Amino acid sequence: MIRISHLSKVYPGGVTALRDISLEVRPGEVISVIGPSGCGKSTLVRCIEGLEAPSAGTIETGSSRLGMVFQQFNVFPHLSVLDNVTLGPVKLRGIPREEAEQRGMELLRTVGLAEKARRMPDSLSGGQKQRVGIARCLSMDPDVLLFDEPTSALDQTMKTEVFGVISELAKQGMTMVIVTHELEFARKVSTRVLFMHDGEICEEGTPEQVFDHPQKTLTQIFIRNRRSLIFQVDSREYDLYKFNADIEWFCQRNHLGKKYFTLELITEELLTHFLPFSGPIHFRIYLNDEKKLAMEIEQESCSSPIVDSPEADEISLMILQGLCASIRERQEGASRFLDIVVNDVYNQD
Amino acid sequence: MEVKISEQGGTMTAAFVGRLDTPASLEVSRDIQPLLDNANKTLVLDCKELSYISSSGLRIFLTIRKAAAAKGGKVIVKDITDDIRQVFMMTGFLNLFEVRNG
Repeated sequence: MIRISHLSKVYPGGVTALRDISLEVRPGEVISVIGPSGCGKSTLVRCIEGLEAPSAGTIETGSSRLGMVFQQFNVFPHLSVLDNVTLGPVKLRGIPREEAEQRGMELLRTVGLAEKARRMPDSLSGGQKQRVGIARCLSMDPDVLLFDEPTSALDQTMKTEVFGVISELAKQGMTMVIVTHELEFARKVSTRVLFMHDGEICEEGTPEQVFDHPQKTLTQIFIRNRRSLIFQVDSREYDLYKFNADIEWFCQRNHLGKKYFTLELITEELLTHFLPFSGPIHFRIYLNDEKKLAMEIEQESCSSPIVDSPEADEISLMILQGLCASIRERQEGASRFLDIVVNDVYNQD
Repeated sequence: MEVKISEQGGTMTAAFVGRLDTPASLEVSRDIQPLLDNANKTLVLDCKELSYISSSGLRIFLTIRKAAAAKGGKVIVKDITDDIRQVFMMTGFLNLFEVRNG
């Protein structure tokens, strides 16, 4: 359907965005392209769409029609929702207006916006505008839909709306290439995942292969960091509010609802009553293999027990024991580690 | 964090608004002086808008309870959220205080 051979892209000024990419997109495939910012994933879909000219290599699309959905919605603000969806078919494909409107209404139903057909885009939410953007692409009957970070500009509720529409299209067998930062969504919707790094496809496979058993070190680090919150505490003059904001952001990104309350409380109790500040302290909050919320805390330059201390503050200890399903201590070199699994009971929305 | 103290009849009410974490508890320990001075009365700790409490915050509640016990007053904790109820439960504060919701 799409065959990319030895594609490279070098921008004027010498920045290399893509290096020798070869890739085949087959009918019905849903391919998610993930990777750190600047890895070339957006450039890749922009090259496929023809918005960027390759510096070397070829992209064959045969007779396939391509449509592209952008991060910034790309709807015409001066046209009604329905007119946004009929403009292309009428003007570019010469389809009679009545037929285009009929088809337009069908497409708006597909994206759940039929009742907004006569509204102007300004009266819609970001998620609704993006769904109009998707319907507009569909109005040109594309064989392949390309998405460039379609939900980056949206809050969580609106992301969910757009994910719902994309998942529905996947079920209908639409061929799609989706550049995204949303790993959980990529896992659910994709048939194949490409992990890009520094302009190259570093690893590819099924969602299970890439997310659960990544082979390359770069992929492993990327997946681990995306699912973790890491922060360092150097002295007792730490910024508790910064940690709390980071914890809340982490919970939001991982759909953990109100679990931030528990994480903030464990963090505060440890910092206030247990950790000796004998050196830098490293916190890592993550979802473990059983999808349970877990924490790893490393206290540098420490060789004595932290929580199992006879001088432990009694109230603080009760809170920790209440919030944690398990707290294990281990010594590794000069560092003392705490491995905590957060208690599920106090962990629900 | 804000503590709004009001008095009506023989009852003194302290409404805790915001997060009672360690930094806030340092300030609040000064703000609650009127409650400690009137610990012979009924002291209502209104927690409707208390969104967070750590052990440092619980210690403030304990200080108030001790003062009331010494002077023959009474402490009622009112309208705690579910999150804070969990913290009260795991620390035994639910048995230590009279907690009224609604």
